[in-house]
Amino acid sequence: MLTGLAVIGVARFLQQRQDFEDATARSYQREIEARTRLAQGRRPAAARAAIIAQQSRRQVLRDEISSETRDTALLVGAGLIAGLTGAALLFTGLIASMRRPLEDLVEASGRLAGGDLEARVQVGGLSETATLGAAFNEMAEELQRRAGERDQLDRMKDEFVLTASHELRSPLTSVQGFAELLLLERDKLDPEQAETVEVILDNTRHLVRLLNDLLDLARSDAGRLTIKPVPTDAANLVEEAVRGMRAQFDARGQQLTLATEPGLPQVEADRDRIRQVMVNLLTNANEYCPESAEIEVKVHRAGADVEVDVIDDGPGIPAEQLEHIFERFSRGDAGETQRVGGTGLGLAISKSLIELHGGTIEAKSALGGGSTFRFRLQAISSPAATEAPTT
Amino acid sequence: MARILLADDSETILLLLRTRLEMEGHEVETAADGQEVVDVAHAAATPHDIFLLDAMMPRKSGIDALRELRAEGIDTPCLIVSAHTDGGNGSDHEGLEIAGYISKPIDFDQLFTQVAELTR
Repeated sequence: MLTGLAVIGVARFLQQRQDFEDATARSYQREIEARTRLAQGRRPAAARAAIIAQQSRRQVLRDEISSETRDTALLVGAGLIAGLTGAALLFTGLIASMRRPLEDLVEASGRLAGGDLEARVQVGGLSETATLGAAFNEMAEELQRRAGERDQLDRMKDEFVLTASHELRSPLTSVQGFAELLLLERDKLDPEQAETVEVILDNTRHLVRLLNDLLDLARSDAGRLTIKPVPTDAANLVEEAVRGMRAQFDARGQQLTLATEPGLPQVEADRDRIRQVMVNLLTNANEYCPESAEIEVKVHRAGADVEVDVIDDGPGIPAEQLEHIFERFSRGDAGETQRVGGTGLGLAISKSLIELHGGTIEAKSALGGGSTFRFRLQAISSPAATEAPTT
Repeated sequence: MARILLADDSETILLLLRTRLEMEGHEVETAADGQEVVDVAHAAATPHDIFLLDAMMPRKSGIDALRELRAEGIDTPCLIVSAHTDGGNGSDHEGLEIAGYISKPIDFDQLFTQVAELTR
């Protein structure tokens, strides 16, 4: 408003200026006329008085215009300041009114990027930020819809694998069962026939292992792989597994030793599943190592955990393979290691199982330098362990 | 030597199990679905020593047949044969006194051991 007044003030000043010019010009005119009358000798006293009057009139006019100039300058200055202040206030007001929605948008983007697909912003305020907000919400909506679709496809995939695995069990049961029946009548078969049936049986058992592994992985993917951990003596469990595998090691002339640290704390473990891990690691050692290889199994304390190592002096694993060794279907060249029994899934499942127990599993190896596979399980902390020692 | 009531909807598996169990010296009566299980159990002159039932069968499942028989007060030990390897679904098997689960494919040594233990 002040700016408006200033504008009016300037217009008025210009008019005043014009009036001043006009009045000054008229005053000079009258002075000239009076000086002419004086020069002509007509009423000299009156003429002189008129000259003085005009001079002082022009002084008054100058004083007037000067004070009007000052007033107008003040008015314009004030108007400018008011205008600038107004503009500044308007500007900060604009920024402020944009800041809040923009902050909300930044925060919502952060949440969305972090995985919260429900993140949305409230749309309102200035039309530009409102449009931006609406666009953001639309984008988030689309992301959420697509994630939903993917989840559904994932679930369908998991269901499919689980259903297919179950469906395959019945015919496998028959094939395995009847092949075993045939072998029970071995004395009625000639050696070639017996061998044929053995091949059928071996491959059937391989199929069953593959099926079980696939099922475990499908369950793991679906988040449905479950374990039932109970307090367990790890050394005892490992010993059981070693005992069960000894025949295979003897058959290949391999030496299998077990060393367990005495007085180990108990661990929370699902016996069947940890046994499964042990069988996996031992089977790998047994099948990938040459005859007469030496394999050591150690069970010992490692910090607050119990660690189990399976150490072999076999051919070792090249670095590129070691990197992916716990991934599904990663295995050595068929040329190097012709194995009928392996599924390429054992280590992937072992990793899932150990991690379900809250433990860790790792492999160390070098070509020509043997391999070490180790896993750790958390020990159950006993009350005695948490007692503070008295000094 | 036990009198076994064996049920499975697959003829092949029924034949397989019957052959192996009879080779082991047991006496086997068969059923192809849950209703037959109930009928055979009712018609038995002398009660069976053990039930060996496939969990999933058409018309009536092994589980439902067992539930019916248990409700009649029949307490014959029962092994459930199942394609599920995660020990069966606990909730709908509650109160049925299932002595054990046999998973497919069948480990016959394990089966024979369990039958022997339950029919001592």
